[in-house]
Amino acid sequence: MTVLQSIRKHAEENFIVASLILLILFFSLATDNFFSTVTLTTILNQLPALTVVTVGMTLVLIVSGIDLSVGSVLGFSATVVGVATIGGLPLPLACLVGLGAGLACGIANGFLVAWLSLPSFIVTLGMLEMARGLAYLASDSQTVYIGASIQKIALPLPGIGVSIALVVAIVIVALAQFVLTRTVFGRHLVAIGTNEQAARMAGIDSRPYRLAVLALSGLLAGLGGLFNAAYLGSSDPNAGIGLELSAIAAAVIGGTSLMGGRGSIVGAFAGVLIIAVLQSGLAQLGATEPTKRLITGAVIVIAVLIDRWRAR
Amino acid sequence: MTDSRLFIENLDKSWAAPVLRRVSLAIAKGEVHAIVGENGAGKTTLVNILAGLTGLDGGRISLDGDHYQPAGAADAFAAGVSVASQELATIGTLSIAENVALRSLPATRGVVDRAALAAFASEALHAVGFDGGDIDRPADTLAVADRQLVELARAFAGDARLLVLDEPTAALGAPQAGRLHELTRQRAARGTAVIYISHRLGDVLAVADRVSVLRDGRLVLTATANSLTVDDLVTAMAGDIFRRHAAPGRPARPGPALIEVEAITTADLPTPVSLTGRAGEIIGIAGLAGAGRSELLHAMFGLVRLTGGRVLRHNDGRTVAIDCARRAVREGVALLGEDRQSMGIFSGLSVQANMMIAGAAASPARRIDQRGEKAAAAMIRDKLGIRCRTLDQDIAELSGGNQQKALIGRWLVRDSDVLLLDEPTRGVDVATKAAIYELLYELAGNGKCIVLASSEIEELMTVCSRILVLSGRELVCEFVRGEWSGKDILSAAFKAYTGRVH
Repeated sequence: MTVLQSIRKHAEENFIVASLILLILFFSLATDNFFSTVTLTTILNQLPALTVVTVGMTLVLIVSGIDLSVGSVLGFSATVVGVATIGGLPLPLACLVGLGAGLACGIANGFLVAWLSLPSFIVTLGMLEMARGLAYLASDSQTVYIGASIQKIALPLPGIGVSIALVVAIVIVALAQFVLTRTVFGRHLVAIGTNEQAARMAGIDSRPYRLAVLALSGLLAGLGGLFNAAYLGSSDPNAGIGLELSAIAAAVIGGTSLMGGRGSIVGAFAGVLIIAVLQSGLAQLGATEPTKRLITGAVIVIAVLIDRWRAR
Repeated sequence: MTDSRLFIENLDKSWAAPVLRRVSLAIAKGEVHAIVGENGAGKTTLVNILAGLTGLDGGRISLDGDHYQPAGAADAFAAGVSVASQELATIGTLSIAENVALRSLPATRGVVDRAALAAFASEALHAVGFDGGDIDRPADTLAVADRQLVELARAFAGDARLLVLDEPTAALGAPQAGRLHELTRQRAARGTAVIYISHRLGDVLAVADRVSVLRDGRLVLTATANSLTVDDLVTAMAGDIFRRHAAPGRPARPGPALIEVEAITTADLPTPVSLTGRAGEIIGIAGLAGAGRSELLHAMFGLVRLTGGRVLRHNDGRTVAIDCARRAVREGVALLGEDRQSMGIFSGLSVQANMMIAGAAASPARRIDQRGEKAAAAMIRDKLGIRCRTLDQDIAELSGGNQQKALIGRWLVRDSDVLLLDEPTRGVDVATKAAIYELLYELAGNGKCIVLASSEIEELMTVCSRILVLSGRELVCEFVRGEWSGKDILSAAFKAYTGRVH
């Protein structure tokens, strides 16, 4: 394949990455120290949780589902890690239990959606409430202090300036993009999301795939909870409130269709970066919180408009 | 005949009504067996059963002597049954190559082997004569004929024991269809059994070894193709059902013209269509599935943009061109859509609200006159004999026939003079059908003009004073009561498809 063909084929990702670069250029010209190491590492190290959650969300959106429970599941998993540590479990084991909590929520979602044919919107809306309730019950609505050991995951490694969490998140982005575009599993996800009936006629049963993406989304929300606890050094039962909306926004900015069948993990990651750059860039320009929200919201709508226009 | 490749014995299948009744069929290795029949004869259900998409109610199917009852499409492929379905099942967001190989993407440990995929797909596409260029681009960039070829490439790839082709040439031009027939014969020569379903009777006789005719879920004829003519097939499809209903309807005494269609064309109807509807007439629109029946009614109602001609409505001495649905409703033209669920009822709303909706829609700012509506709804209910507990009952709880009556009532509320009815008796029982026919006679007697599109020729012959036949999106001829026979009408409906392709 020639370079030109390759570029054309990845037009979706190219466009969004170009927008990201333009945005970074704009802020580095408009502010004095946008490119300073402190700013950059601050932005980057806040990202892992949203990134992994967005990867899960994008996969769910591609099979024309939605997972509204990711923010709550993240909070629940973070709480489980904290409570388990206080209860005397060694940290690695506590982390595993936290991931397991996320996976369990995801499997519950997936089972109800795939095998009982309930709409994912409603099921995960229910899970949004339930997981948050569980987080408050488990922690007695208190932030649980975990300690410095867990923070190693989220602190920049000396010399590199990048945390383990960020490295893990980027590896997951690359892995998920590979799975989506290069594996039979990924191509079947696209087929189901585009036309479930046609996929059925080609012998593809959508149920295991729906279960798998929702379970994965739960697991990744659990991982997000771990990253969040690591970043704070404690587990906050309020962590991740509203995060599902940021994840959906990032996926959509990255060119994922809410109707299913169309989406890109790399694009969604670029979407995460765009939201993050916008937030911190605007803050450095001295924008107030209301202004930041106004502009971020407008960017989401404009991204969808441009996407619609380009699709013609 | 247990040494046949496919052996179907006493197959039964019912949905609301029986669709297949004790169908038995044996197809040998290397045989191309065509199945023809009118709309609703049961062809698609038979295909779906073989494809593993639907179960059967009774009977037994064996493949090379082994019991064959697939639980899903994947099961069917595993058993060596490959189906190219009538509705195009290409997935637009996947590449052309991926679409061809979708049933089993070549892969090592779950990762798609792209070289193997390209080789597999280009060979399969080449075999069916696809020359649409780069096979790595998404399938939604393809025109409909090329999508059909992709579908066929998928079905022909691999070594199926039984190949089922449902309307394989519907979207193809003559050279492509010729090539497909050649390929079909080659496959058969290598031992594959082929079921070939098509409306194109000329093609059927050219490509098949034997032909079976399905009528009303029953297999009424199986014979070798070279002993049959197109005329024989039409006669067998029509059967004697038409004689049964030859009883004349009410004589029409046409009044003044209420609607005039002047040489209209639309994107879906490329050839100009003209007709005049007079007060007191019931005009039938006949045609096979996809012949353009609904498209004509939609054009008359202003739902689609006309590319030529015009629709004139003569209303109380005024003449108005219908250019949008809103104007149609205002000028007393009504359309009853084909699909009651999606185009007709507002389920969750009451019977009364459903009947009054067209009135309310015409003047959104008007305050709803509760008492007046109730009285009007009660009057229509009694007039049409709609059976419901109360007018406040959810319309979704009513039977199909009563829903249909309520929808007709919707337009009577507005005193519409021109009623365009698309399949008004689909899915209703015989008694309700008769009641709807009575209603149509009465409405026509009161000076309404009714245009009735139906896939049941029998029904049109029962109620209409004239029948217009569409074939291949073209108006091919017109019959007047007394001068028609069921066979002539059916034969006209097949007109666009009976020319031999090669």
